[in-house]
Amino acid sequence: MGALTGWLDEFAWGAFLILRVFLVAAAFTLVFGVVGAAARLSGGVWARLAGVYVTVFRGTPELLVLLLFYFGGAVTLTALARLADPGAGFVDIPPFWAGALAIALIAGAYATETFRGAFLGVAPGQIEAARALGLAPWAILLFVRLPQAWRIALPSLGNHLIGLMKDTALVSVIGLNEIMFTAKMATSVTGQPFTMFAAVAVIYLAFTTALSAALAAAERRARRHLAR
Amino acid sequence: MAALSLTIMPLKGTAMRLLASLLGAALLAVAAPSASRAAETLRVGTECTYFPFNYRTDAGELAGYDVDVAREIGARIGADIAFVCQEWKGMIPALLAGKFDLIVASMSITTERQEKIDFSAPYRVSIGQFVAARDLNLTLFDADGALMPAALEGVRIGLERASTYESWLKAKAPGADVAYYDSNEAMYLDLKAGRVDAIMTNPMKAYLSFISKPDGAGFEVVGPQLEEEAYFGAGVGVGLRKGHDDLKARIDAALKAMTEDGALAEFGLRHFPFTIHPQAWKGAS
Repeated sequence: MGALTGWLDEFAWGAFLILRVFLVAAAFTLVFGVVGAAARLSGGVWARLAGVYVTVFRGTPELLVLLLFYFGGAVTLTALARLADPGAGFVDIPPFWAGALAIALIAGAYATETFRGAFLGVAPGQIEAARALGLAPWAILLFVRLPQAWRIALPSLGNHLIGLMKDTALVSVIGLNEIMFTAKMATSVTGQPFTMFAAVAVIYLAFTTALSAALAAAERRARRHLAR
Repeated sequence: MAALSLTIMPLKGTAMRLLASLLGAALLAVAAPSASRAAETLRVGTECTYFPFNYRTDAGELAGYDVDVAREIGARIGADIAFVCQEWKGMIPALLAGKFDLIVASMSITTERQEKIDFSAPYRVSIGQFVAARDLNLTLFDADGALMPAALEGVRIGLERASTYESWLKAKAPGADVAYYDSNEAMYLDLKAGRVDAIMTNPMKAYLSFISKPDGAGFEVVGPQLEEEAYFGAGVGVGLRKGHDDLKARIDAALKAMTEDGALAEFGLRHFPFTIHPQAWKGAS
């Protein structure tokens, strides 16, 4: 364990980085999921577009999307910039945003299906009852459908968020110094892979445990009226 | 109503600021051309995890043979060097996408890679060498550095199965007494135990994982470094995007000078008890 001491600050920065990537990506995941589900439920051309989105990003490996986003994005932006101004130099995508957006697009594809399923999962009787009570359509959506859909969606959404947390381990491939990368650097110098990768496991477990606790609390809150 | 709008306003302000900063970041990303066109900063991609060639110390400093070579090239061609840590998997895509200008990451020159990128002349060799116990006093090579098959009489040689070293020994001494191994570690153990008298392998690997360790005390590299390209490969070069022949020529000129004035030798000796660069300047590939 002594080998760890010189690397603690590097691990701390790496942990801070994956936390930031996770928070930004989680926010985008919710946005992509809600917009995607709304589009799929709307019918018409938007539903088909959202269907393509889900098929593409749920059906390709995370690593591939990440690399395409980062490398392909830079090449595409540079080409576009040169169309406008032939003398334009190299245009880059900041790796933080490329990484967070890429993994959020994938988690968002899963979340789209989760939100769609949850929305459809609200018992029809609930909506009929709301109509019978004379609630306006917006009130039915806001006070009847969404709170119940949220409760149905939470367990599955929690899975996606925990998966998203672990996906942050991929971002070193585009040059971000997250903790897997720190562990590799430390291993290369100290020759103690077990210690270093155990440290990575402890950090991820700490984050996912805290996240699981937060999700459990959110579920309890969503079901509070059902408590006996 | 007034109270309501008051509570909403600050929220709206925050949201607007967030949106503005997001937009700003996106615009900045699009608008900021990199420094590469200023020509005198070269961004160098390296792994940062490959001890002792390119690694980061716990103080956060980059160090190693590749790092020393890249810095020296920069000093000699008058360019500032900025390192970019890049995982191996994405190394060539990152170079092609323009994330950096050079790869100095112990990347072996292969024809497959040469289809996508250019390489400088080698600054590190791919070599084979014998390793044996010091007190065995093995002499396997004549004064000209050629293997004497007769000297292998009664010497059991350990080789990694299906390796380039096997092809080399089969060609040079078809009658040699050989034991084959699937892993280097098993081969080191048998060398230590005396089941084989010598092994033939990559001396850098053997030094790092055996000779420099307590287990390898009393063992050393024996005979010359064997550089035959047909067997061991062309060595390790600086990678760059195709079409930068001018930059390639400047780097090759710097490497030639570094080979000849001993800079490469000194960098190698910082990490190994032997040099690891091509002994004679072979010219640009």
